[in-house]
Order: sequence, then C-alpha cells, then structure tokens
Amino acid sequence: MKKQIHVRVNGLETELEVEPRMTLLEVVREQLGLTGAKLGCDIQVCGACTLLLNGKPVSACSVLAVDADGGDVLTIEGLAGQGSLHPLQEAFMEFGALQCGYCTSGFILTAKAMLEENPRPGEAEIRSYLAGNFCRCGCYQEIVQAIKRVAGR
Amino acid sequence: MKPFEYLEPTTVSEACALLKKGGAEARVFAGGALMTILMKEGLLQPKTLINIKRISGLKGIDFHPQEGLTIGALVTHHELETSKVIQERLPILREVEKEVANIRVRNVATVGGNLASGEPLTDLPQVFIALDARVKIASSGGERVILLEELYVDYYQTRLAEDEIITQVVVPPLPGRSGIEYIRFSSSSVVDKPCVGVATRVTLGPDRKTCESVRIVLGCVAPTPVRARKAEGLLAGKPLDPKLLEEAASLAAGECHPLSDLRGSEPYKRAVVGVLVKRAFPRAYERAQQG
Amino acid sequence: MEETETGESIRRLDYEAKITGRAQYLADMKVPGMCHGKILRSPHPHARIRSLDTSKALSIRGVLAVLTRDDIVKDQGIDPYYGPVFKDQTIVAVEKVRHVGDPVAAVAALEPEAAEEALSRIEIDYEEMPAVLDVSEAMAKGAPLLHESVRMPPHGFADLAELKPVEGTNICTHFKLVKGDVEKGFAESDYIFEDTFTLPTTQHCSLEPHGCIASVERDGRIVVWSTTQNPFVVRTQLANIFKVPVSKVRIVVPYLGGGYGGKVYPKLEPLTVALARKARRPVRIVLSREEVFYTITKHAAVIRMKTGVKKDGTLVARQCEVLLDTGAYAEIGPRVAKKSGYTAAGPYKIPNVKIDSMSIYTNRPPAGAFRGFGVSQSAWAHESQMDVIAAALNMDPLEIRLKNGYEEGSEFVTGETLTGIGLKECVEKVASAVGWREKGERKSNGPLRRGKGIACMIKATITPSISCAVVKLNEDASATIYTGTVEMGQGSDTVLAQIVAREMGISAENIQVLGVDTDVAPYDLTTSSSRSTFHMGKAVQLAAQDLLNQLKQIVVQDYGVPPDQVKFSNGRVQFLETVLDYQEILFKRFGMQGGTLVGQGQVKTKVTHERGVKTTSSFWFLGAGAAEVEVDCETGKLRLVKYVTAVDVGKAINPLGCRQQLEGAAITGMGQALFEEIVFDNGQIVNPNFVDYVLPSLGDMPPSIEPILVEVPHLEGPFGAKGIGETALIPVAPAIANAIFDAVGVRIRDLPIKAEKIFLALEEAKKKL
Repeated sequence: MKKQIHVRVNGLETELEVEPRMTLLEVVREQLGLTGAKLGCDIQVCGACTLLLNGKPVSACSVLAVDADGGDVLTIEGLAGQGSLHPLQEAFMEFGALQCGYCTSGFILTAKAMLEENPRPGEAEIRSYLAGNFCRCGCYQEIVQAIKRVAGR
Repeated sequence: MKPFEYLEPTTVSEACALLKKGGAEARVFAGGALMTILMKEGLLQPKTLINIKRISGLKGIDFHPQEGLTIGALVTHHELETSKVIQERLPILREVEKEVANIRVRNVATVGGNLASGEPLTDLPQVFIALDARVKIASSGGERVILLEELYVDYYQTRLAEDEIITQVVVPPLPGRSGIEYIRFSSSSVVDKPCVGVATRVTLGPDRKTCESVRIVLGCVAPTPVRARKAEGLLAGKPLDPKLLEEAASLAAGECHPLSDLRGSEPYKRAVVGVLVKRAFPRAYERAQQG
Repeated sequence: MEETETGESIRRLDYEAKITGRAQYLADMKVPGMCHGKILRSPHPHARIRSLDTSKALSIRGVLAVLTRDDIVKDQGIDPYYGPVFKDQTIVAVEKVRHVGDPVAAVAALEPEAAEEALSRIEIDYEEMPAVLDVSEAMAKGAPLLHESVRMPPHGFADLAELKPVEGTNICTHFKLVKGDVEKGFAESDYIFEDTFTLPTTQHCSLEPHGCIASVERDGRIVVWSTTQNPFVVRTQLANIFKVPVSKVRIVVPYLGGGYGGKVYPKLEPLTVALARKARRPVRIVLSREEVFYTITKHAAVIRMKTGVKKDGTLVARQCEVLLDTGAYAEIGPRVAKKSGYTAAGPYKIPNVKIDSMSIYTNRPPAGAFRGFGVSQSAWAHESQMDVIAAALNMDPLEIRLKNGYEEGSEFVTGETLTGIGLKECVEKVASAVGWREKGERKSNGPLRRGKGIACMIKATITPSISCAVVKLNEDASATIYTGTVEMGQGSDTVLAQIVAREMGISAENIQVLGVDTDVAPYDLTTSSSRSTFHMGKAVQLAAQDLLNQLKQIVVQDYGVPPDQVKFSNGRVQFLETVLDYQEILFKRFGMQGGTLVGQGQVKTKVTHERGVKTTSSFWFLGAGAAEVEVDCETGKLRLVKYVTAVDVGKAINPLGCRQQLEGAAITGMGQALFEEIVFDNGQIVNPNFVDYVLPSLGDMPPSIEPILVEVPHLEGPFGAKGIGETALIPVAPAIANAIFDAVGVRIRDLPIKAEKIFLALEEAKKKL
C-alpha cells in the first residue's frame, strides 16, 4: 500500500511514493539517487547512514520514510553551497579526517548538527556527541581536530 | 521488513481504539528504534503499526510545584538531555541521557517507548524508579496511573494491555535534603549497552545525617529493574557508615538475578553491583547533605 | 602542508569526491538490466546435502533464476572448485556444507524482497554430521574430516608451493622452520619459560560490506564490479572457473569502504557470475552485515611458546607452536600460517629456533587475511612472554628488548641478512614518548592504578610478488597512471601520484590515477600485505623513469644533443643553454598538440630458495607500541591513558598519510585487544552484528594516540619508502597487556582483555596473598 509523501530534500520540494516499510535511507538512495549516505550495520550503531531530519542526526536505516513526510532532510550532497564547500568539508580534507570515506558523510552531518546546537563545543563535548559514529579506518583524532578548527578552537 | 499497514491517529483515544481493534497484530510505533530492529530480525511482524507521533499533547516537559515533573511520553532522549526544565529541576537526567546509546538514537527514541519496552539493558527505568516516578497509561477504557516500578513483569514484558499507551511520566518533587546518583557500567566500549546500572536516591532527615529514605534500584541485572530492598532497609534510618555500606552493597549484589552473557558472567555482574552501590550511595548522600 | 626531506602531505586525490558524497562505492552502482541476488546459507556447521527442491522458489513473482549445485556440477563450462591456494571451495556447496553460513543456493530476482522470499521457499534436506567446532576438536584423534581430499591448483603462488594439507587430518597447512638446535639451546639456558596464549576469531568489520555486480555475455565475456583488493587474482580464478581466456574477464573496482584484508581473493565473485550466467542478466549482490561475519574472519589462535634464556636476559632458544583456526576453507590460510610462522619468534636474535605453524580446518566460517596477517597473533604471544621473562629476571622490559632485538645486518631465522631494520629506533622512541623512564612516579588513585607497557614486532611482505604499472604522458605534460592498486582508504592513489610527480618534476595536481580496471591496468598481485607503496610505488617510479628516458631520446634524436648533456630539473629538460618544457619536446616529436608517450615499470621480487633464502621479504616491517593504562581494581575496567606507536616507514612520502595509517592500525589494534571477539555457539555466531560485536568508538580513545614516523631509508623502495599499513596494529594488544601487568601485576593471556578477566585475575592474586 503505497503512500504519497512530501519531503524537502536538500532544500528541494520533493514528492515521493513509498511503502510504509521503506526506510528513509532506501528512499533517499534508491529513489533520489543520493548515495552519499551509506548502509553499514542496519542497526543504528555505525552512523554511516546518518541524515539530518529536521536538523537532527538520525539513523536513516531505521527511520521510516513516511515519518519524514512534511519534514526537511539534509544529505551530504546538499551541504556544499554554490561552488564552495562547507567549512566542515574543507576542514576534514585539510586534517586528513577520512581514509576510505564510508563514514564521512555521517560524521560531517552529525558534526554540523552539533555545531548548530552548540557553536563552541569543547573537545570532551565533541567526543561525546560523536561517540556514536564509527570509523574503522581510525580517523578519530583527525576528525576531532577538524571539528575543533571549525568550532574555532 | 515485511509489509505493514501504517495508521496515524491524531488523538490518544483514536490510537487506543485502533490498538484494540488490531489486537496482537497491531503495535505502537513511536521512535521505532527498538521496533525496527525486531521487525528487521523477523522477531516481530505486526500487520499494523500505529504511529503515535502525530498525536499532540504527548510532548512537553513541565514542572508543577505539587505534581512535580511531567514528561510527555513522546519526549525523546535528546530532548530530555537538553531541556532547560530538566537542567533546573533534575539535572541527573541530563547526565544519564548523555550516555544513552548514541545521538541518533537519542533523537528518535522516546522516553515512553523506552519505558514501555521492558528491555533489560537500559538506563532510564532505574533512575525514574529511584525517584518514585509514576506513569500515566491510557486505554480505550480510560486512564490509570501506576508506579513505574509496578509496570515491569519480565524481560520485554510489562503490564501494559494490548490497547494501552503510556502518555506521560510523572516524577514527584524531590523532597529537600535529597540527593541522587546513577552509575552506568559498561564492561566494554563506552557506547556499548550497559552491563550494570545502579541508581541510588537518599533523602536525609533534618539532622542532615540520618537517611530518612533510601532507594537503591538495580538495572540490567534481573528480568526487570529491581529495588534492592534489603540493602535499602539496612541503610535507612541511619547515618552513612562505611561498614554498613559494605554490607548493604553485598546484600544488593544478592538481590538481583543477572544472566551470564556477552557482557559479563553472573558472578561478575553481582560483584559490579556491589561496587556501584558502594560508589553511588556516598555521592547521593553528599548531594543530599548539600541539598 | 608540511614537508619532510622528501615528504609532502599533499591533499589526497580522492578527497573531493568522498567529501561531497559523489564517490562511488559498489552498492551505489547500478548497471542497466540489473537484478538482485540473495544467498541461501547453511544453518548447520557440518551436514550432507541429501536433496534440494527449488520449485516453490521459482514460482515467486519476480524470481529470474535459482542457482544450486546442479547448475555448477553438471555444466561442462564450469570448474566449480577454486581457492587462492587450494581448490577446496565451490561456488555453492556441492556434497556438503562445512560451516553455518556456507552458501548453498542463490536467487536472482527483480526486487531484493522477492529474492529474499524465494530463499525461504527453497527446501533442503540436510543430513547433519558431527562437527569440529574449534582447533582442539579438529585435531583430536578420530575427528571428522572437513575435506576428505583437497584439490591442488596446477599453478599456485610461488611462495606457497611446498604447502599441502596433511592427508587424513584437518591440518590444512603445516609450516616448519628450524634454526640451530632448540633442545641444545634449552639445555644451555639458565631459565626456561613455557606459556600459552590465545586469541579469538574476530572480524574486519569494514563499514562497507562485500558486494559484487556481475554481467555475463553470450560469448562468454564476463564483466564484474567488485569490492576486491586483488582484482587480478580474482580475474584469474574466474577465468579458470568459467573456462574462458583471461582477456574475456574484466574486473572493475570502485572505491572500497575499507578492506583490511577482508576483501582479498574470490569472495562473492564466482557465485555472482554463476548466478548472472543463469539469470542471463546482470546481478548485484550486496551482503548484509550478518552475512559478512559468515564470509570471512581473522584466525583464532592458540600459541605455545617455550623460551630458554640466560640469566642476563639473552635469548638462547625459542620453540613456537602456532595453531590457527582456519575455518572451513583454506582461503589464504596457508600463507597466514607461513607468515605467522616466519616471525613467530619475534624480532630477536635467537640462535636456536623451532617453529611449527599450522592452519587447521574447523567447521567455522573461513578465516583469511586480516591486517597483520598472522603476526598480530604470534606477536601477542612473543611480546607477552618477553615481559613474563623480564619480570622473572627482574629486568626492564625495555632493556631486554634492546638487548635481544634485531639490528641492521642481523641474521634472520632463515639465515638471511636483515636490512632496513629500524627496530630499536622504534622501541626507543615509543619508550621515550610514553615517559618510560619516569615509570617510578606512577600515580595510584584509590582503586585506580596506572602502568606502562611496551611491545615491538617484525613482519614480512608477500615475496615473491609482482607489480606492473603504466604511466602515460599526455601532450600537455599531464600524466595518467594505470595501476591495479586499489584505493581502499590507505591513500595509494595519492602516494603513487606523488612518486610520479617527484620523479618527473611535475605537479601531482596534473596527474590522474585511473580507477582499477583489469582490462586496462597492467598486472598487480594484490593490494594487501602493506606492499603497494614499495612495489607499485617502485613500478610507477620506473615507469616515470622510462618516460624521462623517452623524452631524453627525443631530445637526442630531434635536437641532436649528446645524451650526456641532457639534464632533467624541476619538470623541465636542460641542454647547453636551452631549457624546454616537456610539452615543447612532445610538440617537436609529434608535430602537433597531440601524441602520447607511454612508460612502463615492472617490479618483480624473488625468493631464491627456501632454506637459506636470500630474501624472505622484499622489505621488513618494524614497529613498536607503548601504552599507559589505568586499571580500576574493583571492577577490572581498563582505561587507555596514552598510546604511542613508532613505525619504520623507510621514507615518508606523505607524512599525513603515514600518520593516518599508524593511528588507524593502532585503533583497530585497540579494538582487537579490548573488545572484539566473535562468539560461537554450536557453530552459530552469537553476535553477528555491531550491537554485540563491539568496535572501538571515538569515546574509547585515549586523549592522544601519538604516531611516530621513523625513517630508515630502504635502498630499493621509491625514495626509500616502504610499506606501513599493518605494522602499528601488531604491538597494541601485548603493549596493553604488559601495561596491565605493570599496573596491577596480573598477566592476561587471552584476548580480548575484558574487564572481567582482569577482575578475576586480581581476585586470584588476592587469594594467593
């Protein structure tokens, strides 16, 4: 039983037809072709699927697309402005805060949400907020440094 | 996940009616953090999900001098974590919530959902029980209020009937000269589920030395959160005494029924219960003295 | 952007694509006409397949094909047996299943849900057989055999030619190495130590699961997109299985979301190709997280170490028995056994050594390559025991390592001479960085105790091996690199571009490293064994030199300049008073803005002969780690206060890249040391998910992980560089265990180092008082 939903994705008003059981991740990746968010564990642990739903980081693998109806979704593809990257994207590259890149979208979106909640976090707060995003390549230190830079520390 | 019908009532009574109609094949769907896991695993395959997130009146964190703190069932963990009212009135909840799961789960999972799940490896229930919290429960027949402590029956089993929804948590105002502490112990990663969680609350008498009332609530170490009543009984009516505390901790360790699992063996978890009681209680006591 | 003498931390070439979400990984890819595949897996650890009935599955709407043993055994166009060393794997199970999760059938359908539904309709009649669920069961007398006989390939890897399964047993490989006479050595020793150390099965847990898209044409042309670290070996295997010339098989590799050894050698490819062949449409299979746990693991191990020492701490004799649980199929297990064996005695000058390193078949999912390749297992043993010895002799663990450690020119266990050995520098550096000599002032805070520990290692890289590269110089002096090295996060694309840039004096920004495509790139053995910077780096350097030589020839011929007058400097050519850009030279040759020069480079390393080998390894990995820990004596809970690691990198071409590798490997090492283990129950994995298989998170990190680059230039590496990807992982667990001993005097001999183990050891110790 499909349902029509209306979501603003990366600022663009978007109509989608979804089954209730479809996750936000599936719909964003398969129907919208926005493949920056990745499936890693499917159980809300790794953070590779993180999207910002109404400004808040969520595990898109476990959010029903229908629950995004009427809401705002931001993906990594929507982060860069016209012709320029977001400061977090620049900082991640500068500090070497990524290796294979699979977790990167999740980390950047989560960091963005954190800085919106708290523009000047200390290191402990950064580590705590991001503790639920996993990087198996082991870029944790560089990630923290990159975020500290953007936070003006 | 297998296909299901997704219904979105806008009032509590509508939701309860739908639940009653659907019987065992219908489930409440709030944040869905736990539900989606169970459904993906095939452990639960409800034909109908009743989305309660469109119901107004289930959010909100307020403080009333008589009633105490009221927390809407749809309040998320992160909302609890960042609430100014909580920061003012019950900052322990902020400390607890900071360590729950991860930020994404905290943005989606709700307090009501957490309490209603009966899941053993979690933090909030023992803290609320230590605060003598109550839950308001709505059904198609009306509303009832029970002590949170009485909600739990067994692993993943509560006293909620098929058509019942938790609508609010009520935490009565903490008496003066009260202190509370919660210690969450993970036997591995800081973001792993808790292995043991101990909540203690002390209310002191006018002399600021004698423990007028004591709550020691053990989480993750029994089919339900459990009050260590023998330990409480030993400490109540007396000042803080290290030898007594040692004995109480030992009693508490015996008042739970931990399972040996990936996160620890049964004897180890008991040992940890003892250590956490010994550490948490003096901190709660000190806060009570300052309160 | 910082510079060392030859190193520059330029921005990585793959960063823009990855940071914007545009980088393509396997699961992001679609191919026209593609359908979806799912795999049916055995629920039993050991069972005969009596019969299969797929009729109900075929009737599900949207199902295009069901693949079973009937398809592969009866088809003359398929040789169903394959494997990187022994041909003991089949595309799907033929006579029996050998582990829970063993693929039995596969379904291709228009939608993944239909495929999943169809799986549940396949009826299989199993006859359960007794299973051997760990190494001791597998080695027991009369144990059921996993493989009654094992097919050998006609041509295998040169370095593994002598390894064969031991008939009539579950011993998949038995590698032996002897130097001197250990019995004589023990007789000469003042003290003898015997210890057993164990490690559990663990998993790579790359965030990206394995995936494969396969398309088969009527003429037999096979095109595969795969998350593989060694597309050329996979290509060869597919060509053999499907009986087509190698030229008919094309493997394309997108960016990998992590590999760490879990994506080497054929994994999903043979099955996906067979399914695509049957479905007559391209098929994509992407594993679920749970399936990844059942696909490939890291070898569990039991290691017995007997060491004889003089009272002054000189090592005299060491006997090692390494038992590796290789699971149901050999995979690359034989090489893991061999590699683990070579360095099982540790990076120490020991006159008498006897090593028996075995990989054992068990009814568990197959174990294979994992970052560290058998050496993290043996180092857990040799570095833990070094401290046991040090404690008994009342010697400083740092001193005993400096006393016995390899140096430049030391003789290895095989009799060969070691060169490029920065071991002691690494050990000294980590000791200094962790404040080793200030140990005495350790703080004790209530139930919290602090301690420091140190560990070091040596490892070899696959030898012999081959890497070939082509570099194309375009008309505007930009360059294109054709390489089979897979960019899986380690920064290979960038380092290769930097090498060519430096060699030719052009800017790395003007270099394009092409995606891996076996139709286009020349042969490379594998992206593993930390070998790419050294081997492929050298290959691209040679290719670049070939180009410079060609440019020189043009100048000699077209400008009439004597060869000895032609000089290269800063990306330009100089002769007499003239300075020319490469573009001008090309224009002169081709008469227009067009034309191409193609340079090639080949690196082939050799092992001369087994005993008395000249080069077991084309270069050696040396590294050390030191940990400071804090133990909560009441709960056994451990906190990492500080971790430092030093690795001999030869020369750091990209220092930031090197630091990333050191930190990254150390962090995985921490996970392996403290949290990670696959738990089995009767052959089933109890925790095949990230909730119950615990990975190291940002929250678990010490306040700092300090990576130290030690540079002992390697004479044959590009600009002196050599490989580093695995090194920093290996010392982590023993360094932590040694720090715990320093803090609270208990010795943990089994990984992971859980709080409960420390707690129990402390309780034991209390009882003894």
